[in-house]
Amino acid sequence: MVRVRGLTHRYGEGAAAVTVLCGVDMEVQAGGYAAVTGVSGAGKSTLLSILGGLEAVQHGGVLVGDADVAALRGAELARFRRERVGFVFQDFGLLTMLTARENVEMALTLAGVPRRERRDRAMALLTEVGLAARAAHRPPKLSGGELQRVAIARALANRPAVLLADEPTGNLDEDSACRVMELLERLRSQRGCTLVVVTHNLELAARAQQVLRLSRGLLVRQ
Amino acid sequence: MSWSDAGLLALRSLGRRGARSLLAGLGVALGTTLLVALLSIAGGADTRIVSQLSHGGPAAAIHVKNALPDPAGYDSDTLQTGAERDLTDDALTIIRTAPHVGSVVPVLATPALIVPCPGVEPGPDAPPACQRRTDVYFGTLVGADLRHVRDLPITVLAGRVPRVGSMNEVAVTQSYVERVHLSVDHPGQVLNSRIEIATPQLLPGNGPARFRGRWSLATVVGVVAQTVDDGDFLTSIQLTQAARQWALAGVDGRNFSRPTSPYSGAVVVADTLADVHAVRREIFDIGYANSAPEHLVASVQKYLHIVDIVLGGIGTVALAIAVLGVSNTLLAAVRERWREIGVLKALGAADGDIARWFLVEAGLLGVVGGLVGTAAGTAVTAVVAILVDRYLREQGLQGLDLGGLPMQIVIGAPIATVLLAVTAGLVPALRAARLPVREALGG
Repeated sequence: MVRVRGLTHRYGEGAAAVTVLCGVDMEVQAGGYAAVTGVSGAGKSTLLSILGGLEAVQHGGVLVGDADVAALRGAELARFRRERVGFVFQDFGLLTMLTARENVEMALTLAGVPRRERRDRAMALLTEVGLAARAAHRPPKLSGGELQRVAIARALANRPAVLLADEPTGNLDEDSACRVMELLERLRSQRGCTLVVVTHNLELAARAQQVLRLSRGLLVRQ
Repeated sequence: MSWSDAGLLALRSLGRRGARSLLAGLGVALGTTLLVALLSIAGGADTRIVSQLSHGGPAAAIHVKNALPDPAGYDSDTLQTGAERDLTDDALTIIRTAPHVGSVVPVLATPALIVPCPGVEPGPDAPPACQRRTDVYFGTLVGADLRHVRDLPITVLAGRVPRVGSMNEVAVTQSYVERVHLSVDHPGQVLNSRIEIATPQLLPGNGPARFRGRWSLATVVGVVAQTVDDGDFLTSIQLTQAARQWALAGVDGRNFSRPTSPYSGAVVVADTLADVHAVRREIFDIGYANSAPEHLVASVQKYLHIVDIVLGGIGTVALAIAVLGVSNTLLAAVRERWREIGVLKALGAADGDIARWFLVEAGLLGVVGGLVGTAAGTAVTAVVAILVDRYLREQGLQGLDLGGLPMQIVIGAPIATVLLAVTAGLVPALRAARLPVREALGG
């Protein structure tokens, strides 16, 4: 479950300050699927970053599961990111010097999973996203769709309660985008995790159970 | 992230920018090479130069003479003697038991008539040492207890020293090589030539002194630089003791008196250079004149120490520059991996995990650079040692063995390099670790 209450966020100070989120309230049930839409600069990515503990909560409250994100600091915040949430980035965010399998393993490495176990789990995840045969390939050898599937596998490696995807299809062609969304949705329903997707694409957003529209930092439709 | 996982990630990161990593590692290796080579050469040269100052033997060697000490000689490096005083086994035992005395090697010098190349007709077919005529002359045999040859101020230039107790082997000095018209640049040519030795005994009777010689044949087995005592020939002490017995069987004359002292001197080796002064004082108090180049050695050591500091400083600066190269490389890597750092943090990496990644990378550069640099420094030292030795020999001087690489440098240099590299990696590592995740992700 994700619950946001009165979330306000600013960049800059004084006269130059820009309010990107203004008293946002929202709630996504555990295992739910929400899409956050809005034009560029509406505050979508900032909202996602705050939900994932990538950015500090300035004003308001954010609960992800039973974790009060606003109260987390330092190592606790790192642990929260490691164990509670999984990120999928628009530009995939894979480490180019590692193979597909090693990229998936990296999330498990950070969680302290023993070497043999993490190898098995990474291979199982790659099999689940249909990339077992590409496990030994490095990112430059993979297509956009494949890269995003590896990123999804990595995001799910530590069995997070919440999966956060920031424009996951932004760099993909229509066909690949469709397949990536289907994969995300299938894995969500299989694993029972909460999925929050930020997207420009209203067609993709329409597939979600819940569509949140942000405009100039305000939640204008839920 | 464990240290081993950080190591694997660091290896991959280094491999991705192979050329840059190689250059950074090479810089560290070159700095280490310079430091190791300079310290080794300086250290080796120090030891050898001090050793040379004490004439090839141990630097802590003291020459004791069978004479009373001159009070003015106590603070002097040169030998200043009073009246003769017998140096007996009892006296040597007292010296041997004095504090800080490492060893005592007795010496007995005796005069002898020398006949080079007996029975060999000079000419081109004769051995090199006998091709030109050399007149018979009076020389001095210096007999020493050759069981302790390492404690004696002797440097072998060619061949070897006589065997312990040998009555028919001698080693000659360079002056004998010149006397038989050979070049000191090729001292080995005198080896295996023969000489006839006659030690004198004065016969009783009135009128002109009449001598009887104890004749013996000896083979030249080595060429040495020696300052055990004044003389052209180094022999076993048994040979000169036999000559002394022969002389004692005769009588005293106006210009020839029979030796009364069992030994003409001794070489006393102090435990350390720092003990030389105290041991000299002790021998003075026992009642024997002695000398050691302690003041000269001390002065030279001061200058050598300054040279050490300068050379070590140059090497350290070189290593520091190389280590700054590591820091620069890693700072560039932080800028380059901005996004990757952000991704790792988004995946849950703690600040410590990120710092560890960069510190291990710095450490790897230090390990490789340190090991390669130490190996290269060893090689450079060996080459320099060979070139210096060869040059000195070509100049007709005694060679200089710079010695092996000191173990503390072999072990210490790579460790120091790793520590310096890791220290240099601290700033980049902390910068990477403290990078705000959203900023790193490009938000």
